[in-house]
Amino acid sequence: MFLSFITDLFQQDFMLRALTAGVMLGILAPLLGSIVVVRRLSFIADTLGHFSLVGISVSLFLSSLGFSYFFEKPLYLGIAFSVIGGLLIEFFRRSYTNYKEISMVIVISLGAALSAIFFALASKTGSLYQYLFGSILTVTNYYIYLILVTLGIVSLLFIFFGKQIVAVSFDETSAKFLGINVSIFQLIFMIMLSVVVSVLLEAAGVLLISSMMIIPVAAGMRIGWSFRSTTIISIVFSELSVLVGLWLAYSLTIPSGAAIVSINIIILLVVALTKKIINARRISKIDKNQIK
Amino acid sequence: MQIYINNLSFAYGIKSIINNLSITLNQGDYLVVKGKNGTGKTTFIKCLLGVNEVKPGTIFFDKTDITNFNSWTKFGYVSQSFDNFNYEFPITVSELLSVSSTKQTTASDRLKLLDKMKIFDIQNQNINSLSGGQLQRVFIVRAMLNKPKVLILDEPTASIDKQNKEFFYQTVEDLNKEGITIILITHSDEIEHLNYTHILTMFDDYTNSFDIRNKGGNE
Repeated sequence: MFLSFITDLFQQDFMLRALTAGVMLGILAPLLGSIVVVRRLSFIADTLGHFSLVGISVSLFLSSLGFSYFFEKPLYLGIAFSVIGGLLIEFFRRSYTNYKEISMVIVISLGAALSAIFFALASKTGSLYQYLFGSILTVTNYYIYLILVTLGIVSLLFIFFGKQIVAVSFDETSAKFLGINVSIFQLIFMIMLSVVVSVLLEAAGVLLISSMMIIPVAAGMRIGWSFRSTTIISIVFSELSVLVGLWLAYSLTIPSGAAIVSINIIILLVVALTKKIINARRISKIDKNQIK
Repeated sequence: MQIYINNLSFAYGIKSIINNLSITLNQGDYLVVKGKNGTGKTTFIKCLLGVNEVKPGTIFFDKTDITNFNSWTKFGYVSQSFDNFNYEFPITVSELLSVSSTKQTTASDRLKLLDKMKIFDIQNQNINSLSGGQLQRVFIVRAMLNKPKVLILDEPTASIDKQNKEFFYQTVEDLNKEGITIILITHSDEIEHLNYTHILTMFDDYTNSFDIRNKGGNE
């Protein structure tokens, strides 16, 4: 089973596309995920995902009216709506400064409601399942280019502004004294995150986007000894889950997003358990030495 | 840098917290802001740092109105109990200081400050493994990294032991002697041994008094 997977991986075009998309998303998701976790915004990817789904449903609605372009490339509107969702979150966050999570609830509810309405209005709703749970095995070349461009832009932002991104994320108050305009930073970060979430939508599905971003980081945090090591470990875990998840999705004909996220969870459990056992042994060793 | 505050008042809704506060500080002054919890000390700092909008009243930094002021790198700030900082996610001391440095600050500057604060050995340690005293020294180094003209310390000795307190007050005094303006916020009465030049006392009824300390050492 594994051998035929490897052979198909390099012989079948769709498999090669899935692998290329998976490897790039495997970097992108935990890279942004680590910043999202530091900023305690783990719920945000779900919120943006729901708003991105509005864009997809509007695309399907428009295509049912005869605009077939949107049926072929629904992610463009997905990205546009995700950015609108991000801006709405920022707007509500500033209105409810002491209850910032309220902004997420407002936007996620609006996203779910609008998606349901436009999916109902569109006659072609067959792909709803795909956008809920993702399907990396069916991605097209246009999607690969989209990820490539996103990865390029995000990488450039991290290369040139990585220090500022990390500084603001750890401590917004003190960032002002480094000469960073925190409001502009928040706006750029929100737009960047909105785009990445929409790009993840096709592969992971709206229900699993945040898992792909957050769970590898949750595992990496357990064993990382610095910010850099935690991010690198998270990316390694993410890539591992993409590769194994792809194999499982192909072999068992199950949704790829679900397979990838399941492997992510298994990695997290293994890491947490191993860490617990090592810590328990270390403590008993110290106790024994003290008795001696 | 001269700090000029005239008739500053601030209220949360209808609850007035600061009333007609006026102070003038010149470069190298050492101001202690003293008062019990809830008397508006932190609110005052938030006004000074432009977090709370000043209305009515005026704040000028070197003749620039606070609303037009954008040279915030001239300020160093150590917040109360470091509660704004997320220190559960792994990040080493050296990584934190590196991301907190502007272009003008070199690696050598960072190492000198770590050495001065006697925490050179912990630079590769994870922030979440440090004690309260070590953490405070790291945050002072961070506040000093970009060579500020004014250092603001909000309740800095709240969570550290006696030995670290003594070291802290000595460090503040040394920095003040180097010409840095110090603004130290405290609810503690242990201020008599400090060499401050000005004292702002904030009272329970939200009034305040600003005094210059006599050279003799009494307020």
